[in-house]
Amino acid sequence: MLELIDLTRRFGDVVALDGVSFEVAEGEMVGFVGPNGAGKTTAMRIAVGVLEADRGEVRWRGKPVDAGVRRRFGYMPEERGLYQKMHVLDQLVYLARLHGLTPQDARASTERAVHVLGVADRVRDRVEALSLGNQQRVQLAAALVHRPEVLVLDEPFAGLDPVGADVLAGVLREQAAAGVPVVFSSHQLDLVERLCESVALIHKGRIVARGRIGDLRAADARCLVRVEVAGAAPEGWYARLPGVRVVDPLPGGAILELSGSVRERDVLDAARAAGDVRHFSVVQPSLSEIFRGAVQG
Amino acid sequence: MRPESDEGAYRIVARREFVERLRDRGFQISTAITLLIILGFVVAASLFGGGTRFDLGVVGDGSRTTGEEVVAAAKLLDVAVTVHGYATEAAAEAAVKAGAVDAAIVDDREVIVKSQPPAQGQQLLAMIQAVTARERAGSALQGAGLTEEQIASALNAPPLPIHELRPLDQRQREENAVVFVGVLALYGQLFAYGYWVAAGVVEEKSSRVVEVLLSTIRPSQLLRGKILGIGTLGLCQLLLIAAVGVTAAQLAGILRFPVGAATAIGWVLFWFVLGFFFYSTLFAVAGSIVSRQEDLQATMTPLSLLIIAAFFVGITALQAPDSTLAIVASLLPPTAPLAMPSRIVLGQAPLWQPVASALISVTATAALVPFAVKMYSRAVLRTGRVKIRDLLRAERRMSS
Repeated sequence: MLELIDLTRRFGDVVALDGVSFEVAEGEMVGFVGPNGAGKTTAMRIAVGVLEADRGEVRWRGKPVDAGVRRRFGYMPEERGLYQKMHVLDQLVYLARLHGLTPQDARASTERAVHVLGVADRVRDRVEALSLGNQQRVQLAAALVHRPEVLVLDEPFAGLDPVGADVLAGVLREQAAAGVPVVFSSHQLDLVERLCESVALIHKGRIVARGRIGDLRAADARCLVRVEVAGAAPEGWYARLPGVRVVDPLPGGAILELSGSVRERDVLDAARAAGDVRHFSVVQPSLSEIFRGAVQG
Repeated sequence: MRPESDEGAYRIVARREFVERLRDRGFQISTAITLLIILGFVVAASLFGGGTRFDLGVVGDGSRTTGEEVVAAAKLLDVAVTVHGYATEAAAEAAVKAGAVDAAIVDDREVIVKSQPPAQGQQLLAMIQAVTARERAGSALQGAGLTEEQIASALNAPPLPIHELRPLDQRQREENAVVFVGVLALYGQLFAYGYWVAAGVVEEKSSRVVEVLLSTIRPSQLLRGKILGIGTLGLCQLLLIAAVGVTAAQLAGILRFPVGAATAIGWVLFWFVLGFFFYSTLFAVAGSIVSRQEDLQATMTPLSLLIIAAFFVGITALQAPDSTLAIVASLLPPTAPLAMPSRIVLGQAPLWQPVASALISVTATAALVPFAVKMYSRAVLRTGRVKIRDLLRAERRMSS
C-alpha cells in the first residue's frame, strides 16, 4: 500500500498542502481530482521525491520511502520532459538504467514498452522528430520502462487524442490488474469516473473526499432528478419551485436537488406545466456533483 | 523481482554525457578541425623552421668580402645568411625598401636598413657590426705596423666566459615552450568544457527532463555525473590532440626531447583536470539559475570575467616564473592550471608547492561541490531566472 500521511507544504505564504493523507492499495487505480492550484502536482511531486514536504511522510509497503525505493516508482510529470536530441531507444534505456535495471534488462524492457505503446517503429528517431502525440507515448514509456512498483502520473491524459487516451487507459488498467497501485490526476472528471473505481478529491490543499466512487455516491444522501422540457418553457421555470436547488443547469432543464419535503412527482407536475417533458429521471450524483457537494459541505 | 543493477547512478549519467556528446556532429567536426590545425602548424614549423635566415645585399667588392665573413660568422650561430650583390647604391636601397634583403652594406662604409631598429634584422645587424669592426680594427693594426700573427692573436681573443646563475638547459626550454602552447590551448578548452556543463544543465531545465531525472536520482548524482562525463570526454579529446601533435612534431623532427614534451603535457593535463573540476562546478551553478539557453550568457558573465582575469594573471606569471605573482598564482585554484605547469618544468617550483597547490585545488573544489549541489538542487526545478541571493537565503528545499 502506498500511503501519503499528513503531507504539508508551504511556498512562501501560500499553503499548497495542508495535511494531505490518503492511501492507494496495490492494484487500485485512484483518480486524483481537484481544481487548478488545489495541490495535486505538489502532492505527487512529494510522493515521488522531487519535492520535500515540510511535514508528513510517504510510505510504501509500510516503510518510509527513501531514494532506493523511489527508484522503483514510475512518474510522469505534468510538464513533460525528455532529451529532445536523444534517440527514443537510447533515452528509454538510459532512464531504465537510472531506475536500476541492468543493461540487458533495460534494453529488453524498453523494447516491450515501446511495443505496448505503439511507438516501436520510431525508436531510432530523435524525440524532437516525433509528433506531440508520439512524444507523449514515449513519455509514458519512460514512466513504465522499469516496470515500476508504483505509478504516479500527473495529468497523463492531457494532450492525448482519443486513440492515445484509449491506449493509455488500457495500459493503466493492465498495470493495476498486475497489482501496481496507480494514482493519476485529471481535470476530466467523466474520464476518471469511467476509468477509476476510487478517487481522492483535493481542494485548497486538503483531501475533501476519498473512497470508491460508488461508496461516495451512496453516502451522498441527496435526491437528484434530471429533467428536460422542450417547447415554450420559460427559462428557469424550475428555479421558482419551493424546496428545490439547482445543481447543474442543462439546456431546457437542469439537475435539481430536492429537499426532504419535495417529492419527485411535484417536480414532474411543474415540468409538465412548463412544456413537453423530454426527459425525467432520478439520477446518481456524478463525480463533479459529489465534488461540489464535498466542497460545500 | 527484477534484477537490480547497483552501478552508481552518477556513472550512468557520466556515460550518457560522454556518449551523447561524442556522437554529436559538432563535437566531431571541431575535433577534426583542431587536429588539422595542429598538423598544419607542425608542417609549417618544419618547413619554415630550422633556424633563422636573412638576406644581405652588398655593393662593391670590399662589401662582398665583408658579406662572406658575415655568412661565416652567422653559420656558427646557426643562422643562414644569403648574400646578394648590387651594382649601385640605388639598386641596393630599392632592394631594402622592397624587402628583398634585410640589410645592405654599401662599399664598407654604411649599412642600409628600412628602419632603425630593424623589425627582424637586429641579429644580422649585430653580426655586420662585429665583422666590420674587426676588419677596421685589423686594418688599423696593420697600419700601426703589427705582423699578421700579432693582429690575429689580438683580434681572436677568446670571448669572456659566461657564468650562468640559473642554467636553463635546452630540454627545459623546449618543455616550457610545449607548456606555454599547451596552457594557452587548454585555457580555451577549459572555457568550452565549462560551457558544456552549463548548457547541459540548462538543456535539462528547459526541456523539463530534469523532473523525470530527479524522481529517480539525487541532484548531486546528476551534477557529479555530468561533470565527470564531460570532463572525461574533454580529457580524451585533449589527449588525442596532444598525442597527434607530439607524434607529428617528432616525425617532422621539430622536437628534440619527445619524452620531455610528453612529460610537460602530462603536467599541463594534470592541472587542467584540477582546473576543470573547479570551474565546472561554478558553471553548473550558472546553468542552473536560468531556464533558457538565451539567458545563459548573462549568468556566465561573472565567470567569464574570472576566467579572463585568471588568464591575464597566468600569462603575466608565465613571463616571470620565479616572481611572487607567479608563486601565488600557481597556488590559487583559478590560476594554478595556467601558472604551475610552467614552473614545474622549469624546475622553479619546490616540491611542496605543486603538492600544496593540488591540495588547495582539490579542497576548494570539494568545498565547492556541496555548495554547488545545494544551489543546483534549489534552482533546478524553478523556472525563469533565479536570484543567487534568494537561493542562498532559501530554506533547504526546492520550490515548484
